[in-house]
Amino acid sequence: MRMIPAVPALRTARPRRPVAAAVRRGGGAGSAWGLRALSVGCALAAWAALHGLRLVPDFLLPGPGDVFATFVDVLRHGYRETTLWQNAASTLYRCGAGFLLACLTGVPLGLAMGYSRRVGAAFDYLIQFMRPLPPLSYLILLILWLGTGNGSKIALLYLTAFPIVVSAAMAGVRSTRVQKVQAARSLGATERQVFRYVIVPSALPMVLTGARIALAAAFSTVVAAELMAATDGLGWMVFSASRFLRNDVIILGILVLGLLGIALNRLILALDAGLVHWRGVE
Amino acid sequence: MSPPGRARGWGRLGDRWVTVGVLALFGAAWVAVTRSGWVNDLFLPGPGLLWDGFVDLVENGYKSRSLWEHGALSLKRVLLGFATGAAVGTLLGLAMGYNRKIEAFFDPLVEFFRPLPQLAYLVLLIVWFGIGDRAQIVLLFLTALPVSSVAAMDGVKSVSIQRVQAARSLGASGWQVFRHVVFPSALPEIFTGARLAIGVVYATLIAAEIIAGSTGLGWMILDAGRFLRSEYVFVGIVLLGLLGLLLDRLLLGIELRVVHWAGRD
Repeated sequence: MRMIPAVPALRTARPRRPVAAAVRRGGGAGSAWGLRALSVGCALAAWAALHGLRLVPDFLLPGPGDVFATFVDVLRHGYRETTLWQNAASTLYRCGAGFLLACLTGVPLGLAMGYSRRVGAAFDYLIQFMRPLPPLSYLILLILWLGTGNGSKIALLYLTAFPIVVSAAMAGVRSTRVQKVQAARSLGATERQVFRYVIVPSALPMVLTGARIALAAAFSTVVAAELMAATDGLGWMVFSASRFLRNDVIILGILVLGLLGIALNRLILALDAGLVHWRGVE
Repeated sequence: MSPPGRARGWGRLGDRWVTVGVLALFGAAWVAVTRSGWVNDLFLPGPGLLWDGFVDLVENGYKSRSLWEHGALSLKRVLLGFATGAAVGTLLGLAMGYNRKIEAFFDPLVEFFRPLPQLAYLVLLIVWFGIGDRAQIVLLFLTALPVSSVAAMDGVKSVSIQRVQAARSLGASGWQVFRHVVFPSALPEIFTGARLAIGVVYATLIAAEIIAGSTGLGWMILDAGRFLRSEYVFVGIVLLGLLGLLLDRLLLGIELRVVHWAGRD
C-alpha cells in the first residue's frame, strides 16, 4: 500500500524536463508554431468542409460561420435571459469557491498528515475512501441534504477537490529528503523552523501540482453538476440548448468551456512558476 | 516513504490503533445519530437499513435488472471506452514524443480536449448518436485519449539520452532504438497515464449514466434518489467506490507485473 504513489498524476503532471534531443526527430522549435497554426487551421477546415459539402444535416452540425453568428447573438442578447458573462461567472464562482475552500482546509490537513504519523493514521483511510468515488454519485445525496441551490454544488466541488489536495500535500511532505531535515537539525533548527523552512518549501511543488489537478477535476465536475440541476451556468446553457436542438449554442458552449479550462490551467501554472522557482532544482 | 526521522515514541502499533479508533468513532457517531432519530432515515439511513437495502438489491435487483447486470453494464462501457481510448492515445503519444512535427501538429488538439469538461460534449454526442451505449463509449474514448497520449509523450521525452546514444553506438537501427530502448523506458509513464485515465473514465461514465442513462450503477443511484430510497443510494455509492478501487488495483497489478524495471535507473 505504502509504495503506491498517493496521486498517480503527480508523476506525469510534472513540468517538462529537458528533452532528450537525440531521440527526437522532426527539426527544431522554429517550425512548431507554423504546424500548430496549421493544425488549428486543418481542424477548422475539416469542420467547414463537413458543413459546406452537406455531409451532415445542418441541424446536427452547424458550420463555423453559424456558430460565430450565434456567439455574437448570445453576446448581444444573451441566451434565454442570461448573458454569456453571467453564465460563465456563475460557473467560475462555484468552481472557484469549492476549490479555494478545499485548498484552505486540505493543504494544512495534508501537511499535518505528512508531518505527523498519528494524524496521517487517523485520516488516511477516510481520504483514500473518498478518492476513487465518482463525484457525481454523491451529488444526489448532497442535493437531498442541501437543496438544489449553490450550496450543494459548492459542497460537491469541495469534496471533489479535497482528497486530491490532501493526498498531494501529504505526498509532498513525505518526499522531503531526510538529509535536508538532518542538515537543518544539526545546524540547530527547532522543530518549527524545520517545518517552516525545510518541509513546507520541499512540499510546495507537489502541493501546487495537486492544486492543478484538483482545479481541473472541479472544473469538469461543475459542468456535470450544472447539467443535472441548475438554472444558470455554462453547463446549464449547453444542456438547455440540447433540449431545443440548438447545436450552435452547444458548440459555442463547448468552445467557451475549453478555452476557460485552458485559462484556468495556465493560471495555476503561472502561479507555480512565480511561487516555486526552486522546482526541479535539487 | 516514512516521514524523515520523525517517529515519536509511538511505534506502528500506535498508528494502527489511531486508525481503528478514528474509524470506530465515525461508526459510533453514525449509529448514534441514526438510532436516536436526530436525523431522518431519508437523509442518512442507519446501518440496519443500509444492510437491508443491500440484501434487497442483491436478491431482487433494481427495476427488472439484477445488481450484477447493472454493474456489468457499467463495467463493459468503462472497459470498452478505456481500451480503445488508451490504445489510440498511447500510439499517438508515442509518435508525438518521438517526432516534434507530429507533436506540434496534434498538441493544440490534445491541449484543447484535455481540460475540456467531458460532460459538455456528451450532450452533443447524444444528439449525434442517440441515448445508448454508443454515445457513452465515444465519450469515454474521447476522455481517455488525451490523458493517455500526454502520458506516453512525457514518457518518451524522459528517456535518458545516454541510453539512446549507447544503443546507437552499438549499431542499433532507428526501429531497434525505439523498440528496445525508448518504448521500455516510456512504459512506466504509460501505465501511470493508464491508471489516471481509467479513473477519469470511470468518473465520467458514472456522470454520463446519471445525466443520460437508463441502465448501469450510476443510473441506479439517480433513480433511487428520485424515489428518495436513500439506502439504495448509499449502497450504490459504496459499491461504486469499491469498483473504482478494484479497477485501479487491477491496473496497478498488471503494471507491477509488466514493468518490473520501473524505478531502477
